[in-house]
Formats: sequence, C-alpha cells, structure tokens
Amino acid sequence: MILDLHNHSIKSDDSRAKVENYCQWIRKRDLPIDGFALSEHRQFDSESDYRPLEDEYGLLILKASEVETDYGHVLVYGVNEDMVAAFDFSRIDLPLSLVVEEVRRCGGIAVPCHPGRTRVGMVAHVHQRGSVEGVEVIEVLNGGSRGTENDEAGHLAEEYGYRGIGGSDAHIVSHIGRCATHFEEPIESIEELVSALQHGGYRALRPA
Amino acid sequence: MAMSVEELRSRYAGMVFDSVEVEALAEEMVGFSTACGETDPRYTDPGHADFQAPVNFTTKYHGARMLPDDFPNFERARMIDAGKAVAWHAPIRAGDTLTARSRLYDIYEKTGRSGVMLFLVHRMEFSNARGELVSVVDWRLILRGGLQ
Repeated sequence: MILDLHNHSIKSDDSRAKVENYCQWIRKRDLPIDGFALSEHRQFDSESDYRPLEDEYGLLILKASEVETDYGHVLVYGVNEDMVAAFDFSRIDLPLSLVVEEVRRCGGIAVPCHPGRTRVGMVAHVHQRGSVEGVEVIEVLNGGSRGTENDEAGHLAEEYGYRGIGGSDAHIVSHIGRCATHFEEPIESIEELVSALQHGGYRALRPA
Repeated sequence: MAMSVEELRSRYAGMVFDSVEVEALAEEMVGFSTACGETDPRYTDPGHADFQAPVNFTTKYHGARMLPDDFPNFERARMIDAGKAVAWHAPIRAGDTLTARSRLYDIYEKTGRSGVMLFLVHRMEFSNARGELVSVVDWRLILRGGLQ
C-alpha cells in the first residue's frame, strides 16, 4: 500500500489545493498511490469530513498536522483532543523534545520533515546541538526539497538509525504523488498508520 | 522589546482602523476587466443587461492606512507583499458607492527557509449603499524577521 504522507490543502494558509481536486488529479493521472495525508500548517483540522471523498474516489484520506519546532518542522500523526490540549500547535518555537514526548504520550508519532532544508529542517540543528531523544522516524523523501536536501535527510537517517518516510509536501494539486511511502501491510485508519510508523515495515519512494 | 504575536493579536486583531468610500465607475470596471484579459461582455460591455465588476475588481483599492496608526514601527524594506485573496459576495454595479472598512483579520508567525516571518492579514470589507457586503479582500503582508 502506498500513501503520500505530507500534503496541504486550502486549510493551510499557503496552499491553494482543494482536497477533492487532489482526488480528481490522482484518478485522472492514474497515480499509483492508495491515499494521502493532509498535514495542515500549525493546526489540526478537526472539522473537515473527507469520508464522502474517500468513498467516491476509493482513496484513504488521513488528517495530520505540521508543527514548527526549534529543530524545524515536524509532521504529527494521530492527533487527538489530548494532544491538541498538550501543546499549542500554532506556536513556531515548540521544543522538539516536548513535541516528540507529548505526541508519543497521547498515542501519536512525531516525524521531523524535510530535514535537509535550511532552518526548517533538523539536520543543521542536530549538527549544532545534537540529536533529540525519542525521534525514530524522519521524512527522507520530500517532494519540495531541493538539490541535495533529501540526500542530507537520508544521511541523517543512516547515521542515527531513523526509519524513513516519503511525502510530496504538495501545496498545489499537480504536486501530489511526487513522493510517498510504501507499507508492507494495508492501512485503513490513522490508528493503523501510527502503529505502522511506530513498528516499521515501510520505505520511502517516488511512485511516478 | 518587540511585542509578541499574542500581544499584537490581542491589541490589533479584528479592530477596524480605516474606512474609505469609493465609487465603482463603468470605465474603470471595463479597463480593469480588459487588463485582466476578461472577454465576457458582462464585465466588458457597460450596455450589457448584467454589467458588473469582475470578481477581483476590489483588489485595486487601498485604504487611507495600511496598518493602525499606533502599530509598532518596523523597517518597511523587510515587508513583502504575499498577495491577495478575494471572496465575492454580490455584484458591484456601475456607479455603486462602496464603503471599504479595513482591519487586521489575523496576525501569525511561521518559519521558512529564510527564517521567521510575521504575517499580517489585512482585510478590506466592501459594502454597497444598501449595506450589502459585496466583496472581501484579504491582503497578506509578510514581515521578514518579524518585529525586532
């Protein structure tokens, strides 16, 4: 099963992509992905119900978040009420250690994304200040990263033994499906995704 | 010491700080439509039965103030125009007098490759003489480095 684990919709302030348009694009282009996650910036979209779109297009649509920490941006999967109450998603200076610990305590998993990017990725921060305990998974393939940024993410994963996921980081419709994650076992819910990310059995890839 | 985002939001978000009146002239509506490449006669022909301003027409207007008078000072050179989003509510007809009220709709920070950015969302709400809301324009301004 292949899921694109990092995308943004119009719920994010810098995206113009509607979720239905993502679904239409995937089907129109026959992209080899089975679903995608929406990781809106600095918030969790608790309102939107994408189940009708899932049924209409036969895709799994999961909701996540992308928060901002002192080690760069971090994808958060398995967001729930306890997690939203545990820390302020809108802040841009969250300690990564706090995010990792609180997300784990609340039953989710935190995944630093685009680690190779300047300032908003964790590679440079790790080199300056050391690694952060509790990180187990990072995004090693990001569709919006440039040059050698994904290579740097891969090197970080090798050095620290992190597992790797892939996500397109799409902000416009045509960018979905550029990077994704292949899971050995089927996933049907956010809980199953969190469990899989915690236990392994997946790899990042470029589906197209 | 620079004000925090929470302080800025608490003090300025939602407060109407400017109000201006403008008149939507037929020739300006045609000129704007034509410049945008519009070909639908509803927007380019004043003689059309449903002649009205194009959806993005209100983006041409500015208020008397960009920010509240007492907003903290910053170097204008660090400010970037991040674009405008328009929400259409009702037709603007030739000769309509519009009242445009400005407020800071949202204030927030984010981090990008270039560092911290402070976003100011300047909202202009346009109403016609009957008090009907016709258009809302959200203008995003980025202050690179935030308030320092």
